Amino acid sequence: MSNTVKTNNAIRCNFALVDLYNVYDPEIGLNVVDLGLIYQLDFDEEEKKLDALMTLTTQFCPMGESITGDVTRSLTNAFPDWKVNVQLTFDPAWNYSLISPEGKEFLGH
Amino acid sequence: MSLGIQGLQQTTNHKVVLPFYIYASFAFVLGALLLFLNTELVNTHHFNPYTLAITHIMALGWATMIILGASHQLIPVLVEGKLSSDTLAYLSFYFLAIGIPLLITAFYFFNTGIMMQLAAILINVGVCCYLINVVKSAKTQSATNVHAWFIIMAACWLMSTTLIGLFLVFNFSYFILPKDSLAYLSLHAHLGILGWFLLLVIGVGSRLIPMFLISKYTNDKMLWRIFFIINFSILAFIGIKVFALSESFFYMPLLGIGIAVSLFIRHCVLAYKVRIRKNVDEQMKTSMLSVFQILFPILVLMFCFLIFSTKQEAFKWPILYGFTIFFGWLTAIILGMTFKTLPFIVWNKVYKNKAHGGKTPVPKDLFSEKLYLFMQYSYVLGFVVFICGIIFSISIALKIGSALLLLSAKFYTLNTFKTLNHKAQTI
Repeated sequence: MSNTVKTNNAIRCNFALVDLYNVYDPEIGLNVVDLGLIYQLDFDEEEKKLDALMTLTTQFCPMGESITGDVTRSLTNAFPDWKVNVQLTFDPAWNYSLISPEGKEFLGH
Repeated sequence: MSLGIQGLQQTTNHKVVLPFYIYASFAFVLGALLLFLNTELVNTHHFNPYTLAITHIMALGWATMIILGASHQLIPVLVEGKLSSDTLAYLSFYFLAIGIPLLITAFYFFNTGIMMQLAAILINVGVCCYLINVVKSAKTQSATNVHAWFIIMAACWLMSTTLIGLFLVFNFSYFILPKDSLAYLSLHAHLGILGWFLLLVIGVGSRLIPMFLISKYTNDKMLWRIFFIINFSILAFIGIKVFALSESFFYMPLLGIGIAVSLFIRHCVLAYKVRIRKNVDEQMKTSMLSVFQILFPILVLMFCFLIFSTKQEAFKWPILYGFTIFFGWLTAIILGMTFKTLPFIVWNKVYKNKAHGGKTPVPKDLFSEKLYLFMQYSYVLGFVVFICGIIFSISIALKIGSALLLLSAKFYTLNTFKTLNHKAQTI
């Protein structure tokens, strides 16, 4: 499991990540969690609202729409009764240190 | 700073882009076929109908059409905005798609009359639509970046190239220029080669190569230097031509272009060295090869065309020079980048709204890797054999080399259509 995703609810976060491990960057072929694209998952139990904060490997990623769409769909599937809100950030910008050891191995390191 | 989903890079409609790719693939086959059927042209002056026809198929039908298609797709990436107008992009395609075959037919049969003139007008209107679209797209951004400037200037030089071409065509019939058209051929050709192709390839390559290698290397200062060196070299070349200065002055722009290309190669090598993605795919290998191939025409100019040319051999050096450009680095970068960009465009078209968490094919599954390797090997072998044929005047090497290039063009087209015909599937 990734230890880089910030959250206010570790149990729900792990449940979300199980689904997010199946969301891939189509160009790289690595899932968004091991790639370190997911920064934060916050769960509002009262309002049943999930706020996801994520990034892309580059701000000009032509597959960005597809990846964020897939993340939104995946979280909606995992939490069907919740309102899912995916936000994109480039501060901090994605970098090599965010990739998990499994991801680094996949990329040939 | 959180951007929300609205902060996403906007992609260009695939319907705008794909016709350019389809058109270019047929032009590549036609260009390679005509080269195969006319290999004896190597021993003739480059200003002859068949060489002009083949050169314009490769320069306009193949390289320009695919670069236009790719740049319409990449404008959002380069200018960090969106393509200003789909309509202008369609118009650009239609005018060029009609103008190019007319021009090539006119060259092939050397019909310098109405057909060639109409073709030149249509091509200029098409290029004008593209230029307006590029400028309008870049204008929407408050801080225009170096990559955007590369594409804007490249489009301006393309317009200048086709405008000079238009004058040259009318000069055949109406003698509107002080000298005959042959006198301006070198100016027309180099504005296109340096201003359009080189600037655009460097502007696009300097963003795409690090992006596909997942390299964090950036050096905008260096890219600005390259940008100014190339533009000053082109202006110097124009000055030398206009004021009819001595041939020795040509070393000045040649040196400038040599420095700019060397800096670009260094930029790509540094990006390659610090790449995060260690496993480099075949398409990126072809693209990296093409970066080094830019040196070939410069070397031909430096060591053969200007120093060693003798009267008996003078014909073959311009042919070698043109070949290393149009069948060399331009073709190599297109072969590599087509199968990095086209599968994305088709994938986005087919799967963007139906991605199911890793259960769909990824873009690289949309084309055949085997066909790609066949294409790559036949291309590299054909390129080397044909060059040997030109340098050592071996007819059989020219035939074998051009046959291999034709084979490579067929593999390319097959793979392009395999990608285009991809239907949604789950795995």
